[in-house]
Amino acid sequence: MSMKVVDGRAGPRGPTLALLASSEAGLLLITVGFVILFSYLTPGFSSPFNTYALTRVLAIDVVIGFSMMVVLVTGGLNLAVGAIGVCAVMVGGWAMEVAGLPILVAVVLALASGAALGALNGILTVAMRVHSFVVTLATMSLFFGAMIVMTKAQAFNALPAAFVSLAKLKTYFFASSMLYISIGIGVLLWWLFHHTLIGRQILAAGANTSAARLSGVPVERTIVVCHALSGALAAFAGLMLTARNGAALPSMAGQLGMDWLLPAFLAPVLGGTLLTGGTLSVAGTFLGAAMVTVLSNGLLQLELGEFWVQAFLGIILLVAVALDRLRAHLMAKRRI
Amino acid sequence: MSTTMQLLRTDWFGLLVAFLLGAIMLGVAQPSFLSTYNIYVILTAFALSVLVALSQMVIVAIGQLNLSVGAIGGLAAITFAGAMDLWNVPIPVAILIGLMVGVAGGALNGVVTHVTGLNAFVVTLATLSIFKGTNIGITEAQPFYDIPEAVKTFGNARFGFFPYLLFVSGAILVAVWVFMRRAVLGRQLLAVGGNRNAAELSGISIGRVVVAAHVLSGTLAAVAGMLAVARLQLGQPTIGDDWLIISFAAPVIGGAVLAGGHVSVGGTLLGVAIIMLINNALVLLNVNPYAVQLLLGALILAAVALSRFRDPA
Amino acid sequence: MTEKLVITGASKAFPGVQALDDVSLALAPGCIHALLGENGAGKSTLIKIITGVHRPDAGTVLLDGEPVQFASPREAIARGISAVHQERNLIPRFSVGENIVLENLPRRRGLVDYGEVRETARRFMAPLGLEIDPDTPVRNLSVARMQLVEIAKALSLDARLLVLDEPTASITPYETETLFRLLRELRDKGVAILFVSHKLDEVFELCDSVTVLRDGRNACASRPLEGLDRADVVRLMIGREEQTARRTERTATGEPVLALRNVGTELGHRNVDLEVRAGEIVGLYGLVGAGRTELAKAIIGAAKVTSGEVQVDGKAVTIDSVATALSRHRIGYVSEDRKHEGLILMHSVRRNVAVTVWGRIARALGWLPNRAERDAVTPYIDRLQVRTPSLAQPVSLLSGGNQQKVSVAKWIAAEVRVLIIDEPTVGIDIQTKVYLHELIHELAAAGTAVILISSDMPEMISLADRIAVMSEFEVVGEIDNDHDATRMGEAIMARIHKVEGAT
Ligand SMILES: Nc1ncnc2c1ncn2[C@@H]1O[C@H](COP(=O)(O)OP(=O)(O)OP(=O)(O)O)[C@@H](O)[C@H]1O
Ligand SMILES: [Mg+2]
Repeated sequence: MSMKVVDGRAGPRGPTLALLASSEAGLLLITVGFVILFSYLTPGFSSPFNTYALTRVLAIDVVIGFSMMVVLVTGGLNLAVGAIGVCAVMVGGWAMEVAGLPILVAVVLALASGAALGALNGILTVAMRVHSFVVTLATMSLFFGAMIVMTKAQAFNALPAAFVSLAKLKTYFFASSMLYISIGIGVLLWWLFHHTLIGRQILAAGANTSAARLSGVPVERTIVVCHALSGALAAFAGLMLTARNGAALPSMAGQLGMDWLLPAFLAPVLGGTLLTGGTLSVAGTFLGAAMVTVLSNGLLQLELGEFWVQAFLGIILLVAVALDRLRAHLMAKRRI
Repeated sequence: MSTTMQLLRTDWFGLLVAFLLGAIMLGVAQPSFLSTYNIYVILTAFALSVLVALSQMVIVAIGQLNLSVGAIGGLAAITFAGAMDLWNVPIPVAILIGLMVGVAGGALNGVVTHVTGLNAFVVTLATLSIFKGTNIGITEAQPFYDIPEAVKTFGNARFGFFPYLLFVSGAILVAVWVFMRRAVLGRQLLAVGGNRNAAELSGISIGRVVVAAHVLSGTLAAVAGMLAVARLQLGQPTIGDDWLIISFAAPVIGGAVLAGGHVSVGGTLLGVAIIMLINNALVLLNVNPYAVQLLLGALILAAVALSRFRDPA
Repeated sequence: MTEKLVITGASKAFPGVQALDDVSLALAPGCIHALLGENGAGKSTLIKIITGVHRPDAGTVLLDGEPVQFASPREAIARGISAVHQERNLIPRFSVGENIVLENLPRRRGLVDYGEVRETARRFMAPLGLEIDPDTPVRNLSVARMQLVEIAKALSLDARLLVLDEPTASITPYETETLFRLLRELRDKGVAILFVSHKLDEVFELCDSVTVLRDGRNACASRPLEGLDRADVVRLMIGREEQTARRTERTATGEPVLALRNVGTELGHRNVDLEVRAGEIVGLYGLVGAGRTELAKAIIGAAKVTSGEVQVDGKAVTIDSVATALSRHRIGYVSEDRKHEGLILMHSVRRNVAVTVWGRIARALGWLPNRAERDAVTPYIDRLQVRTPSLAQPVSLLSGGNQQKVSVAKWIAAEVRVLIIDEPTVGIDIQTKVYLHELIHELAAAGTAVILISSDMPEMISLADRIAVMSEFEVVGEIDNDHDATRMGEAIMARIHKVEGAT
């Protein structure tokens, strides 16, 4: 007697409740809760201008989060996301401003250079057989240093108006048009990881390298692909930021590009992507970024005094994630 | 297996070779490298950084990460300085207060991580904000200047090239080394990091071990913070802001497995030493400041490549 | 006499599964009690309740007549309960010695006393015939040796209640004999022992009483084994008569698909000759440490061949990686270590089985629809009766035997030309074993060349056409199988002993 086998997320109480028990649902609930709270507490929060500003930041942070996420699934990480993003943008800026290439060509060039730098990380990781932490720690310095030497730390700030205006579009509900681009990228990534051969191979290799290798998964290739993808996404985030700033700035991601690391890690990890590799949640990464953006923006709107904002952000963040755990715990107890 | 092979397989041998080669080359290229004062400068920086690295290393040992190392160190530093500046408490009491901040910060990290089952990454990221935010809230970003002379003197005193600060760090280094190799709790840390399930089935209390590791980490960070106050001669609120990278880089270069279960105190020490050496070299050789980062990256990569004779797992 | 352990009305549910439903069991001191049931019947779950890993939803546990509710394994250990769990639970980077005494690290002046660690460890290793340096890191050991370390670890607690969940699954009859002698001694000293195994011969040889679970319920509770025979027990376990394997008729044809000529490896093999033809099943038999798994690793390119020649279809080839073995020569390997090399534990049943067929079922642009995956794996899941609430269940949540079925199923699905199967039926219940044997026969009949590594002599004799005997990293003889258990068994052991006697 074998039990009847059904596919799908089976819980005894059906798929709807199972969906509610997922961590994505938890993040969504908490984020919506805070949106309501902040709108109630301060009118500035839901103003069209703030909505636009918030979604614009969110759009960029989401893509930065994706760029880390795709490496986290391999069980590695990419400290060089910021450095790659800046390098790629400087290539793009040069192509538009100095070489005078069409916008599309410049964008492709920037993305390609991001992917190439990422691929280099992947190749080094595989060839040296060390954790990508060490490799990307080194290449973060290397890429950033090389970029500074070559650009002499000068910005490209005469970018074509057509490019800059891409970031200025407002769409439905005053949201930035860039948010829809980010969502589009998310859908593509979701499809890649859950419905294609390479996506599955990546997940398998990330979860258990030796088992995957013995099953014929080209483990090394998946690592290089992920790093290249990460580089391309970092480049994309960089381009979005450039369009927003109206200039390609060597300093846009801070010293060594490290200002990006926080949003890069925060979004996927809050969204349920494991640092040990093998699983990921695209929607979770999106919602993780959304939660952080809403929290920090809301706290700023509340004007609590500049000195204590950061401490409050920490406390609220902790409370928010603990609430989510509590919800998951209660759901599990009722065995949903 | 031959002795050479065995040496090559240790975490530290390749790093030691890399370090010695680097030091010799630098000594030849720039004789001022070997000047007493320069060695003193390097050793002072080393004394602080090695504690930061150890503070991260004990958390890596249990398979977690602690992003709040710098924030705890900073908070301990300003409470230590603030207690002496604002309340004029005696130095030993101020040290005790600083240590308590480290213990409390670590305990908060450990307890929250264990009780909620949340990823330590997320927890320590949030507490990073809390500790750093409290730091800024208290200091309003202004340093505490009024530090007792004794503390300032200690922070800058030396025997020839040997800074007094290194006595503290050296003693702690040895203690941590013994702890990880021979103490029951140290072994339990590694057991939990190596295979959490197995450790639990062997009757090890996971909660106790996780909390203990975080408390130890917080304490080490606090000591580093207070030493930094002595060194800088003021309670700078920015102490700890730039610790994160070195805290990870040194243990990992030293052979620690990020997934947990394996760390090397000797390797970590050499990891710090190599990074100090590289930094010093870039300063001494008067490298174009633009190229410093580039070279730093290339050299770290080279150091790691050199240390990979041993098995890659 | 008061019972050592009495469980009444224990129930435990997991999402989608009622693992235990009103189960009772009583265990007397000085008694070896068998706990039997099919894969997924709930044996391990019951054991985890006894050892404080799980808390029951309902029911009571009495230890020495006193109700207990363990909140953690630590408390169970403190009350004198020691266990070998079904899954290996060792710290990979720790030494054998430190693993064995991890519960009570001996200390002197506050620090761990490693001299004492070694000594204590040796004391518990010696009776098991485990003759290795206690300083060896556990991760360098074979699965069988890890199993023995695990047993030594459990014995080191000097517990009054010893729980053994399939301790003999991956050790050979020889080591099993040694273990049984030890267990009988412990029983005579009044220790209560709970013993789980799918090998019924062992149960009849060793145990005094028996509890059988079927679908999480008692099929019988704590009755003496005396008066029951094998057929009775099987009927209790599966609720009907045992079926025997149908053998598909087949003949090995043509030239060898894979041949080793005088092969030596970096792992220490010398002068190994072996060939296997399409449609043939060649067995590799040997004691623990004979180098069988290692030979498989060398064949698939996970270890280096240093001398001699590996031939595929008569042509010499160099197989330098697993990927080459699989993609170019279509040689697959079912690992004996399902947890580390076989399964992707956190992934679903569906993905685990499908991993070997992804390349085949992918459409244009690498599109891999879930439906295609499901269609590809369902026949094998059904055939091997994998017990899971759904195909989306993470493999880590299946019972040990069901995990093993998944680990084998994916390679049956892979359609390779040469399949090396390492200990395929470890932890698999008797009925599924029959189905699996049928599948292996069918596979061979369809033209696959099979190399079977198994420590289970009856399995070897029922499946293999020829048996190559290995000892100390050499092939010491090859015997044509005439399927007569006694004669073959003697012939095999004679080869092994001849070599061991000579050295
Ligand atoms: N943590 C868990 N979560 C969900 N289901 C579980 C969990 N542990 C066990 N199960 C399910 O409970 C049932 C009983 O499992 P158990 O491991 O007790 O079986 P078993 O009798 O030991 O089988 P085997 O002979 O294969 O080891 C199985 O259907 C299994 O899938
Ligand atoms: Mg079991």
